[in-house]
Amino acid sequence: MDRSIRFENVSKSKNGVSIIKNMTMTIPGSLFFALLGPSGCGKTTLLRLITGLEKVDSGKIFLGNIDITDMPIHKRPINMVFQNYALFPHLSIFDNIAYSLSIKKVPKEEIKQRVLKIATSFQLESQLYKKPSMLSGGQQQRVSIARAIIEGPQVLLLDEPLAALDFKLREKLLIELIDLQSTLNITFIYVTHDQEEALTVADQMAIINGRGELEQMGTPKEIYEFPNSRFVAEFVGNTNILEGRVKSHLEQQHLVTHLGTFSLDHEKIGPWAINDVKALLVIRPEKILITKRSQTGFSNSLKGKVLSIIYTGRSTFYEVCVDSTLIKVFEQNDEHVEKEEIDYEDEVYLYWQKENTLTLEGIC
Amino acid sequence: MLTLLLEKTRVKSLFKSLSLSFIKKEGIKTLCSSAIIWQILFFYFPLLFLFLRSFSSLDGESLTLSYFKEILTAPYFKVLFNSLGLAFITAVASLSIAIPLMVFIVFKTNKWKYPLLFLLIIPFWTNFILNIYAWFFILEKNGLLNQFLLYLGIIDRPIHFLYNPFSTLILMVYYYLPFVALPLFSALERFDLTLYEVSLTLGAGKYKTLSRIVFPMIEKAIIVGFFLVFVPAFGEFLVPEFMGGDKIYYVGNVISLYLLGGATAGVGIAFATFSIAFLLIASSCIFLIFRLLFQMLQGGINDQP
Repeated sequence: MDRSIRFENVSKSKNGVSIIKNMTMTIPGSLFFALLGPSGCGKTTLLRLITGLEKVDSGKIFLGNIDITDMPIHKRPINMVFQNYALFPHLSIFDNIAYSLSIKKVPKEEIKQRVLKIATSFQLESQLYKKPSMLSGGQQQRVSIARAIIEGPQVLLLDEPLAALDFKLREKLLIELIDLQSTLNITFIYVTHDQEEALTVADQMAIINGRGELEQMGTPKEIYEFPNSRFVAEFVGNTNILEGRVKSHLEQQHLVTHLGTFSLDHEKIGPWAINDVKALLVIRPEKILITKRSQTGFSNSLKGKVLSIIYTGRSTFYEVCVDSTLIKVFEQNDEHVEKEEIDYEDEVYLYWQKENTLTLEGIC
Repeated sequence: MLTLLLEKTRVKSLFKSLSLSFIKKEGIKTLCSSAIIWQILFFYFPLLFLFLRSFSSLDGESLTLSYFKEILTAPYFKVLFNSLGLAFITAVASLSIAIPLMVFIVFKTNKWKYPLLFLLIIPFWTNFILNIYAWFFILEKNGLLNQFLLYLGIIDRPIHFLYNPFSTLILMVYYYLPFVALPLFSALERFDLTLYEVSLTLGAGKYKTLSRIVFPMIEKAIIVGFFLVFVPAFGEFLVPEFMGGDKIYYVGNVISLYLLGGATAGVGIAFATFSIAFLLIASSCIFLIFRLLFQMLQGGINDQP
């Protein structure tokens, strides 16, 4: 069974405002897929188009090879978990979970067995005869997930399902969701604006920009390590971006910026990078070494003054001012070797290897 | 020691009750108690008086059941069932108009929903007699409705709309519609449309969603609305008086006829007492039927341990 979802030239506008413009994208089947984008970029609209709660203006949507563009909502083998749980308040937890089965007129005994089975695996067996309002947020979201998967859909859509929960619970449920996806082996499409969540859960992910266009698709590692645009680089994770012009000299490219000249990794650079072309240098904060002592063996270096220090327990986040430009540096607090004390206003050296950076074509 | 503490808290609470919260808490109590006194003096007390009066003879000196004996004859029962039928049909008709209308107004009209609700209530602020006369203009032989139907060619002779159960029912529904519309409006406004969408994605069609999710969640409003219409409609006498054409008698007309008839007041009072009892029984029956209907509608598994 092909459980992929394919958009073909899908456009959608609401109240005259275009939300999704001519989108073509294939969401691979039977994987945990994350849709990541800023608030209001049309990710929720994409989900609603897949469920059929909203109709496309033009274009087609396929589930595997089946055209589901005009299929009625209740006939689609696609279920959705909503952000605010949306449990039926007048029904017990049992009846909530059993809803889709009882609609299909499954025999009572079978319903009972299936509900009990799924409730046990979601640790809800003692809550079955309570009303939704008596449950905690995490339990309510578990119920709504159980309710959505009990009839065995091909695709499960999750619209920021954990946004309303506290951090600890969110982490726990994320792991449960990953397990659930690999047991059920159906397509999960997880919409979020939280990049850490997306990077954690996804097998594959897509980044959508504020205009509702697909920016990049790939594995979390590809997205994080090799963003193909400034938007993706800045949206996923923290990053430093330096603008400048390329200078080629004997197989070695350099970027001339207002902070100085930096060497680039010519293996990762495209053929576009000829002399005098505008380019962006992307350096992730954790790829930079911060130290008060001068070091050797690094291909690039900067010197600056520490402006702020944010200590978060297992890591420390520095902002270093280099010629009125802020460079972000991230340091793990692993005490394998003795660390030097870095304080506010300290003069520090920043080092990085050119292999750990990325160069993007600059559009200025 | 303990008494001192108690004394302290008492003084504290005295100060509290003298401050702003006095107006908040005690003020409401005072307001409520005055309303309750009013209710007792001018409603429950006369009701009790009416009840006692229906068992005493005309000069008020001896107890008697003669009035009740008189009303236990057939024609009075027919009057009760006339009113029951009228009230029931009015309530059901109002509901069947109000439910789709309110669903439309709440979910489909966006910013127009409050103006539309306002329009629905406006006739309520006009004297009812004026409303009735306005309807005469519409329903009479050369009235708007007949002229319109003649113009469209649907009929070739004017129809007698007035002075029959039809015109009575139209006016009743017209008058009582806001009673059922308002509770429905507030219930539907509280209804989270996401629940409707969830039900659709879980495989329920539109009608199944209505019967399984929407109706059970506005069940209370439906029942409240029904009885807000049913109970006063049962005793309604103005509309049948003007629109009924003296052919069918209803409880309200009979009571007013007897009460204003001087010597027959005793029978009127007894009939009023009897009608209240009848209405209570009928309402309880209808309420039970409602509950059963809703349970069937929901058709859930309701698998309680």
